Amino acid sequence: MDADATRRQLAAALVRVAGGDRAALRVVYQNTSAKLFGVCLRILKDRGEAEDVLQEVFVTVWRRAASFDPGRASPITWMVAIARNRAIDRLRASAVSRRMEPIESADAVSDPAPAAVERVELAQQHQRLSRCLEELEARHARAIREAFLDGTTYEELAARMSVPLGTMKSWIRRGLLKLRTCLEA
Amino acid sequence: MSTDDTTDPAAGGNLIAAEYVLGVLGAEERREVERRLAQEPALASEVAFWEERLGGIADAVAPVVPPPDTWSQIEAAIASDARPRTTASLWQSIAFWRGFGIGAATLAAASIAALAYIGLVPASRPALMATLAGSSGQPNFVAAVTATGNSLVVVPASLLTNDPRAMELWLILPGPNQRPHSLGLIQPGQPIRLTIPPELAGQLTPDAALAVSLEPPGGSPTGQPTGPVIASGKLTSL
Repeated sequence: MDADATRRQLAAALVRVAGGDRAALRVVYQNTSAKLFGVCLRILKDRGEAEDVLQEVFVTVWRRAASFDPGRASPITWMVAIARNRAIDRLRASAVSRRMEPIESADAVSDPAPAAVERVELAQQHQRLSRCLEELEARHARAIREAFLDGTTYEELAARMSVPLGTMKSWIRRGLLKLRTCLEA
Repeated sequence: MSTDDTTDPAAGGNLIAAEYVLGVLGAEERREVERRLAQEPALASEVAFWEERLGGIADAVAPVVPPPDTWSQIEAAIASDARPRTTASLWQSIAFWRGFGIGAATLAAASIAALAYIGLVPASRPALMATLAGSSGQPNFVAAVTATGNSLVVVPASLLTNDPRAMELWLILPGPNQRPHSLGLIQPGQPIRLTIPPELAGQLTPDAALAVSLEPPGGSPTGQPTGPVIASGKLTSL
């Protein structure tokens, strides 16, 4: 099934979920759970925690489906945002007991291979995002990608990339400002 | 472009939505943004802008199939929700529940300690308890199965409301398509002991769940929950 049809099918299923249709939630689950589990796992790096959060995500989708607006957001983007928020909250809650990832392993897991990105059929918006990210300084773009994928704080990113906190904030904020201009263009 | 890495181009003020979506903020800053989101439509639409635009970064994440039992756990978790609730519902408003949240965790812990002290929590076999939480995760009731296994003590763990509706406790047994069984009405202000119907008493296991719904005075007229679910939780053995 092509990406557009999947998107339409998902949006329709979410509207049915908003009406209380459990079977529709199952359709949503079948189509998105692997993606969302990947997103949670990437942030939490712990299967048990990621499983817990995935459950929370679908309970949240069940409860909040009425606030999904198919005219404004794509279904998967809406759900990825819920999954990331839940996973990041869980990550922050357990931050006290969590040791920072060593730099080597962070490098190993956190740099998305460009080839893998290109293989995916990107929607128009995603192509624009890739192009805009390419226009940034490489390290700014890398910091933004890693922040998004791993849900790391400024402090953790600074430690991971071995730069002072102020520098990391500056990189990301510069990158975001430039990105906004590029994305709005 | 400038390569000066130490100059901060923005105090962060007009990038806070982007920073929130990116995930670089700490827990307290995130809560602060979420409080503002409820009141500032402009901020909310900025968050939506960034969620939509940055969402593509997630394309780089490889899908991982979750364990096979995840779906059944989700099904059980939503079983006590008669219908998804909209954000317009007062009961679902996180701000509303947070108003009652102060000290709730402490109260819940105290309730458990009190139950243990007065001997309602059996020492001879694994005790079954449930903490019934609202949508914000805050505990509203603590329930414990008594030593004989045929009654249930429900203790309010946090202040509730002057809502005139009755509160009805439901038992949801594990398994697909299980309908909730009413265990009776409970009181927001006082502990209460409810008798578990004999046909259900043997089925209280750690996979069963309890839920509280708001109903007309006297309880649900249909035998099934008709009002919003204000608290729910799974039984767990201590």
